[in-house]
Amino acid sequence: MKLRPFIDFLKSVITFRPMDTGADFAEMRYKGLKRTLVFWMSVLTIVPLLVLFTASYYWLQALFHEESRHELAWDIENAKNQIEYFVDVKISALRFLASGHRYDQLSDQQLLARIFAAFKREFGAVVDLGLIDKHGIQQSYTGPYNLQGKDYANQEWFHKAVTRGIYVSDVFLGYRRLPHFAIAVKQDEPDTDTFWILRATIDMETLNRLLSSIKLDDADDAFIISRSGTLQTSSQHHGDVLEQYAVPALLRQRGITILDLKDDAGRPYVFGYAFIKDTSWILSVVEKSGTRTKIAAVFRAEYFAVIAVIVFLILLAAFRMVHVMVNWIRESEEKREEVLREVEHATKLASIGRLAAGVSHEINNPLAIINEKAGLMKDILMLSENNVDREKFLRSVNGILDSVKRARTITHQLLGFARRMDVTPEVLDINDVLTEVVGFLQKETLFRDVQVKQNLGADLPRVKSNRGRLQQVFLNIINNAMDAMEAGGRIEIITDLKDKSTVRARIRDSGRGMDAQTLKHIFDPFFTTKGMTKGTGLGLFISYGIIKKLGGNILVQSEVDKGTTFTVELPVDQPVPTIA
Amino acid sequence: MSATKVLLVDDEAEFASALAERLQMRGYDAKAVYSADEGFESISRDAPDVILMDLNMPGIKGIEALKTVKLVHPAIEVIILSGLGSEETATEGLRNGAFDYVVKPVEIEDLVIKIDQAKEKKDRK
Repeated sequence: MKLRPFIDFLKSVITFRPMDTGADFAEMRYKGLKRTLVFWMSVLTIVPLLVLFTASYYWLQALFHEESRHELAWDIENAKNQIEYFVDVKISALRFLASGHRYDQLSDQQLLARIFAAFKREFGAVVDLGLIDKHGIQQSYTGPYNLQGKDYANQEWFHKAVTRGIYVSDVFLGYRRLPHFAIAVKQDEPDTDTFWILRATIDMETLNRLLSSIKLDDADDAFIISRSGTLQTSSQHHGDVLEQYAVPALLRQRGITILDLKDDAGRPYVFGYAFIKDTSWILSVVEKSGTRTKIAAVFRAEYFAVIAVIVFLILLAAFRMVHVMVNWIRESEEKREEVLREVEHATKLASIGRLAAGVSHEINNPLAIINEKAGLMKDILMLSENNVDREKFLRSVNGILDSVKRARTITHQLLGFARRMDVTPEVLDINDVLTEVVGFLQKETLFRDVQVKQNLGADLPRVKSNRGRLQQVFLNIINNAMDAMEAGGRIEIITDLKDKSTVRARIRDSGRGMDAQTLKHIFDPFFTTKGMTKGTGLGLFISYGIIKKLGGNILVQSEVDKGTTFTVELPVDQPVPTIA
Repeated sequence: MSATKVLLVDDEAEFASALAERLQMRGYDAKAVYSADEGFESISRDAPDVILMDLNMPGIKGIEALKTVKLVHPAIEVIILSGLGSEETATEGLRNGAFDYVVKPVEIEDLVIKIDQAKEKKDRK
């Protein structure tokens, strides 16, 4: 598997590269920032949550497991008690019979048959009943077989019954090939110092029924084995009765033991067992299905669904928050950059202004001399009528004088930009200033067939500014607007309140507009689109300087063939609170 | 009526001499000097009707020269020849008794009008 690209992606996600320049790069950077933030926010919220969920999951699973073991142990104990009770009842009944009758009574075949009938009626599951003397000879017998006189002296069960007093045999197949077990009870004769044994054979069917009380699935098994591992009851999956079962090492003999084991194929299973009192039997349960943990499976599905929903919601929230956050950052960065650009522009214009002022000043003196010398030449020419080239000289001198006049206009305007205004600011109504300016231009607008529409906001706060300078700026802007239009154009003048501390005047024309390149240089000195003869390229440069000095702002928006809008923003006069 | 006597005081000799000559052509009795000291000397010899004076000259401070002239010869009208960017000085000059100011380079026609007005004012006194 190629891990390299994945690792590179992870690196790009985890580490955030600091700022560089360029719009495309900025876009990439914001995307990178988003990825990084989403990644870390998700990791920081989801990882602890998953750790918590995993820990809880294992804890709950252990709890379920413990619970199911308890349940199994409970079932085994129940079955064990029932089996023990079953055996106990039979033993007690035999002991009762033995102690309630004498040897000679029980030797009577007919009486034994009657007792057997009553015994079978009351306790059931009894196959036969026999009396064995101390030599191991069956003296009397009642049951389906003919076993009277059978010698048991050499059989193991006889010896165990003799030594223990009570003996419960392992299962064996009788003559009818049905599984049975025998219970033998020894009865001592105190007077004669002798003994005899009463023996009953019990059908295993009842025990099988008792085993079925343990709640099991198809894959599970409950059965009884002997201590040597011989199956005492038939089993579902572990062989038939009397077959051998590979018993795990059974260490505890008291109570109920539950073991977690693995089969030959390595699959886990639960093995529970309990020793049955008075017998060599072991009640065993093999549980492979995990039925008892099925409830855990349902729970698990719900649990994982909840986790999935929570993780999804976290991711959703992370995406949303990061989106909002990065947009905030982007906006503030863009704003900052715009301010920086503006400051840079203003600084540039200011230094150009200072430079221009210095140059103008220096140029002005030679200009004055040229002016006087040329003027003198003109005067002389005017007086000397006999000069043959008079007209030619006059044209040249006039050319010089006109050029001086043009140069003077430029130097004056440049100085006007840089000069500190020693005018005291006055409080005025911007609408008044605009109305005056439109008044000045009335003839011009009529002549050019330009329609001027005034849309002046009512009750605007007054601004602290300078009437003359403001007039100059508005005249300049409106003149430019008219220059940009053919006859029949339209100029709209709108004043309103931008915010509570700023009054705004917008002058919108329907002229030819400007492209982005022109717009970029609009406030630069000597930048003109009107051609050298018509404009000096200083009007907007100076207007810019004036508005900045008045503490305001001048902005321009334009679209080619749609028109241009100049916006002049001026600070409102903050009236000093009067002392009551 | 004799010609109006105009004294030009400007350290820029080329400018002052040419302007003086042009004024002479227009019938004024114009004379150019190139420093404040020369100016004072000329005034004491033959007091002019109107003085055209640059306030930004080396040596004696222009405004002081103006004050001195107005103090000694209050009748003489002074028109300030202002350099560009020194309108503040010109305004100060007006406060100190100057008749008016013109900004260089000057339009001869404007200047002539101002000289005539100054002369008129002087004659009214």
